Amino acid sequence: MAFAVQDSGKGPAAALRVSPHAERGGLKARERRVGWLFLAPALIAFVAVILVPFLRALGLAFTRYDLQTPVPEFIGLGNFHAILTSPEILGSFVTTAIYVVLATAGSVLLGLSWALILNQPFRGRAALRAMSLIPWVLPSTVTAFVWGWIFNSRFGVLNALLTSLGVIDYPTAWLSTSGGAMTAIVITKVWFSVPLFMSFFLAGLQSLDKEQLEAARVDGAHNLALLRDHILPHLKPVMLVVIVLGVIGNLQHFDTIFALTGGGPVRATSVLSIEVYRRAFDQWDIGMASAVGLLWVATILPAAWFYLRHLLKGA
Amino acid sequence: MSSISLKNVKKSFGAVDILQGIDLEIADGEFTVFVGPSGCGKSTLLRLICGLDEVSAGEIVIDGEIVNDVPPAKRGIAMVFQNYALYPHMSVAQNMGYSLRLAGTDKAEIEKRVGDAAAVLRLDKLLDRKPRQLSGGQRQRVAIGRAIVRKPQVFLFDEPLSNLDAALRVDMRVEIASLKERLGTTMIYVTHDQVEAMTLADKIVVMHAGRVEQVGSPLELYRRPANLFVAGFIGSPRMNVLRAEADERGTLRLENGTVLPVTAPAGARQVSVGIRAEHLSLSDDPGAFVLRGRARVVEHLGSDMFVHVSVDGASDPVIVRCPDEMELAIGSAVSVGFEAANAHLFAPDGQRIVSADARRSAA
Ligand SMILES: Nc1ncnc2c1ncn2[C@@H]1O[C@H](COP(=O)(O)OP(=O)(O)OP(=O)(O)O)[C@@H](O)[C@H]1O
Ligand SMILES: [Mg+2]
Repeated sequence: MAFAVQDSGKGPAAALRVSPHAERGGLKARERRVGWLFLAPALIAFVAVILVPFLRALGLAFTRYDLQTPVPEFIGLGNFHAILTSPEILGSFVTTAIYVVLATAGSVLLGLSWALILNQPFRGRAALRAMSLIPWVLPSTVTAFVWGWIFNSRFGVLNALLTSLGVIDYPTAWLSTSGGAMTAIVITKVWFSVPLFMSFFLAGLQSLDKEQLEAARVDGAHNLALLRDHILPHLKPVMLVVIVLGVIGNLQHFDTIFALTGGGPVRATSVLSIEVYRRAFDQWDIGMASAVGLLWVATILPAAWFYLRHLLKGA
Repeated sequence: MSSISLKNVKKSFGAVDILQGIDLEIADGEFTVFVGPSGCGKSTLLRLICGLDEVSAGEIVIDGEIVNDVPPAKRGIAMVFQNYALYPHMSVAQNMGYSLRLAGTDKAEIEKRVGDAAAVLRLDKLLDRKPRQLSGGQRQRVAIGRAIVRKPQVFLFDEPLSNLDAALRVDMRVEIASLKERLGTTMIYVTHDQVEAMTLADKIVVMHAGRVEQVGSPLELYRRPANLFVAGFIGSPRMNVLRAEADERGTLRLENGTVLPVTAPAGARQVSVGIRAEHLSLSDDPGAFVLRGRARVVEHLGSDMFVHVSVDGASDPVIVRCPDEMELAIGSAVSVGFEAANAHLFAPDGQRIVSADARRSAA
């Protein structure tokens, strides 16, 4: 011991040797190599299934490629010019905007309210929390079927309920009016999204310091002030993520709309996803469908970019 | 200014009784400290007084009015939480002014009162910061500032200094003491810390398992603990306890027959004799005092030292406090003695009994 102490007192640093256990390239090098290895399968799948088809579709957007043109023919911005002068397609953008705003706002509001309720202590809370997830677990075709049945003009539960309450005199064909159809697809989507959003909000609420709320109560805050001054500010990051996810999800949404209304009546619920589908597989106008699709992706990108940046910053 | 009285206050969570009937009077302007082991119900009692939880039975009276069903904000009470519970998204100034803002006080008045409190607590330069940009001690001061700004009738503190390091604790303790002098408000203070309790309190309430064991001034508790529990809890290091047996004449003997220099009252049999470390004398001459033993551990504290002595005839070692100038080898034979006046006698049920010597001298 005495020797070691003496030695370190005057020994120059150059005399020290590197431990034989040292990792080449620093401590993290091995972890990084393993990381790439784990990432490889997902990366290959991504390139093959998403990136390549996407880039090809991107190319098709600048071609004429329809039933009369079996081989894609380059037409530059022709498709985009057609889109700008087509009231139908421009209408699709408006329909999409209405749908996205209503569905997102509805899901966020109801998801938050539901989370606030489920965050209160009461008997049977755990069971109710579990049950709340059911709409989210159901396959979307089943969801569409359930709601289709509810809105059905002849056998529908909604008509039965409203007539028995005396609100309406005759059964209404909800899905045949443009307002009714829009309401129906929004409600269906909200019903489907609330459980997920509720889970996000609930997780956020559970990380809220209970003492903070108690301190606020002692300071004289009533329920509304608690919500406004403490709960909502605390949930702000969650709120951002939820809204962005909601916007992205609703911009992309296709299945329940297609199953419930098919974009109708006429074009009342023809959002961009439906529009692209119709162009491509009803009218076989692949070039035009690709061009609309490209614009559609362009509307999603800002939200997606925002979301990713937020995620990466958080990590 | 407010007085508080608790009348047979009980609290149970489900089937578990946490507080078993607390009676307590706290006078206007008094600084009362709750002490007791972890889990004895100090925080629970404080939350009941604050109004954050409802009592299961009994009455809480503030200024002659039963406030059982009055919400916390209307009790004229401010509470400082153990983990500060600052509002993380508000600045220091907003934190401190929040209650006034809710009460609809006008901006200029809020600013003035926040400014005054900040000056007192030396927070003036930090008013625009967020809580996470503050050190522990600064956060603590903001929490106290938030309470002061409201000009409450009663301050409640739940272990406010327990998250601070030793030096900061001393600073904050002094700060709270000066606050007490300046404001003269009724204060209730929960702590684990002996020194905080002894230095700050006008009155200490010792709690144990949901009951009040003793209420009194720091010196009363130190000089005349009502039972073994209080004797062990107040004072540091813990009071030494020797198990002794008394004969018909009151002579107290250890297991090995050593006669103690204190006499039990008539009728006592099994007696626990408590003596504080500072009331024991130590000598390296084995014949100097009645208790013989060996030094086992010596702890040097600088000015003092604590010597752990295993005494012949006693089951547990006793701790003796003496000036740190004695040369003492571990394992060396020593003797220990004390004066009758400094001995505390306790019956087998733990209650204090008065020694025969004390009775004689009182007569
Ligand atoms: N909400 C609750 N539900 C059930 N039991 C509780 C609840 N709150 C406290 N208790 C129990 O009540 C007892 C007293 O708790 P309390 O927090 O008052 O102790 P304390 O004296 O403040 O302890 P510490 O010094 O560790 O803070 C503990 O046994 C605790 O487990
Ligand atoms: Mg506590």
